[in-house]
Amino acid sequence: MKSTRTKARLCSFGLYLLKILVALIMFTPIIWILTGGFKTLTEFTTTANLFPAQPTLENYQYIFQHSHIWRYMGNTFLLMFGATIGTLLSSALVAYPLARMDFKGKKLIFSIIIATMLIPNIALIIPQYIMFGKIGWLDSLLPMIIPAWFAYPYNVFLFRQFFRSIPKELDEAAIIDGCTRPQVFFKVILPISKPTTVTIGILSCVFWWNELTQPVFYINSDQWRTMTIALMTSFMYTSGNAFVINWASIMAASTFMLIPPMLLYAFGSKYLVGGIKTSGLK
Amino acid sequence: MRRQRSDSRSAYVFILPWLIGFLCFTLFPIVFMVQQSLTNRKLNGVSKFIGLANYKNMFKSAVFWNSFRVTILFTVVMVVVTTVWAVILALLLNRKQKFNSIFQFCYFLPSVVPTVALAYAFRTIFGKNAGLFNNILSTFMGHTVEINWLYQKNTVYFVVFFITLFTYGTGQMMLIFRSGLADVPQELYEASSLDGATFLQKFFHITLPMISPLILFNAVSGCVSALNGSFALLYPLTSENGDPNGMTQVLSLLIYKEAFSNMKVGYACALSVVLFLVAAAFGGLIFGISKKTVYYED
Repeated sequence: MKSTRTKARLCSFGLYLLKILVALIMFTPIIWILTGGFKTLTEFTTTANLFPAQPTLENYQYIFQHSHIWRYMGNTFLLMFGATIGTLLSSALVAYPLARMDFKGKKLIFSIIIATMLIPNIALIIPQYIMFGKIGWLDSLLPMIIPAWFAYPYNVFLFRQFFRSIPKELDEAAIIDGCTRPQVFFKVILPISKPTTVTIGILSCVFWWNELTQPVFYINSDQWRTMTIALMTSFMYTSGNAFVINWASIMAASTFMLIPPMLLYAFGSKYLVGGIKTSGLK
Repeated sequence: MRRQRSDSRSAYVFILPWLIGFLCFTLFPIVFMVQQSLTNRKLNGVSKFIGLANYKNMFKSAVFWNSFRVTILFTVVMVVVTTVWAVILALLLNRKQKFNSIFQFCYFLPSVVPTVALAYAFRTIFGKNAGLFNNILSTFMGHTVEINWLYQKNTVYFVVFFITLFTYGTGQMMLIFRSGLADVPQELYEASSLDGATFLQKFFHITLPMISPLILFNAVSGCVSALNGSFALLYPLTSENGDPNGMTQVLSLLIYKEAFSNMKVGYACALSVVLFLVAAAFGGLIFGISKKTVYYED
């Protein structure tokens, strides 16, 4: 009896040790970014200590003085909210009949949605680039925000999974009471879908905050630069010494980029685990 | 009957945003891409029909075949690595212990950090001088290690493999697995414990089949995010040339380079067609395998 208890204790101790080790590995790059922003460029490029010997704010001063960081932040927030609100509304709208109504062609439409889920954006980005060039959308946020308002397959799928788990009687009761389908959707289904909406909203915000690929293709000028593009171009070099990459400033700028995802996580962690209902691709 | 018809009409109205988006932003670009791949379109818009010349050049090009191989290799490795790693992280957190929310925070956060920021962090962590990784190795080995991780043939793959553990939505997958593990009926474990099953037996005979639909889901989305996300990781990490010597030049990097550095948009369209087919093949493969292996409760 006693030995099994010690065994269990040892086991749980070992598990703790493993968890801490994994946490150290997973969290080190983030600490590297956070502390790197407070090192001088000399210290960053000559030593590899995790913590700065003489913490300095000069990198933060540098990125505020030598770049339009507020503009980049503003652009990124515009992209993030514009695309997220659009995808939430349209994806939920499209998912509703797929989950809860019967109509001709439903199976076909759902299969097309699943199939398009598998197309990586990058495979269609060149034809889209030409297309958006023709209608004059290049070098703006439009090629990213506008398509988001026409439902994103992955989000449609997540919404559909959740809507399917709501009892059908709820819709039927509302319809007998004289509600139209849009009324059922907006007044009954959407309000009880808060966890899923929040989850998809967070995932979408994080996606657009972090998105590099599409801005790299679509945006040229400083005017519409997002933070990710700015990280690749605007904080790169020390002034005067054109070819030295200013790593310490890049780390400082990266620190700014960490804040919104961290806040979103802190706000939404209680929704995240339960909010994703994915009982497979049935 | 009439209500049903009006019901079906309102269903189509609900579907409308997707239909418009699908026609404008998916179907049309696909058709347009195939058509443009038959031209020698330049970045400035000048183009002439040249038939299959782009494809002929492509199949003769060593750069293309290298890129093709690297894309397949990276996608397979990234999907497998992230899925396995996400299952391990979820299992670690599954046992109810104190501080789990802190551990979850530590495991999840790297996957929501911008990939470009992580790429830059790792470029310096794996740097030759003043790189954290060399520094740690030096401490353990007792002598100075100066490996140029990102610019050597084999080590660059190790770096990409290592960073993969942090990106490609590992954290998101972990959360999905966590919700799946929570749904596995505890009685199954209790019953098998009475039968004397070991931890591994329980894992392979109960846990794995129960979460197999989630593995399918994650493999599908992981595949797409690997094909997509490899650009966001590798472009800042190893440039559009896929240093060293094109070893990390996945198709998306090659597409970018051909379109914007060499201004050959028509050729880039031909490459995009190939990338599209690669994605389709992976999708078909995953669904094919899943039909045989995924276990559904009902």
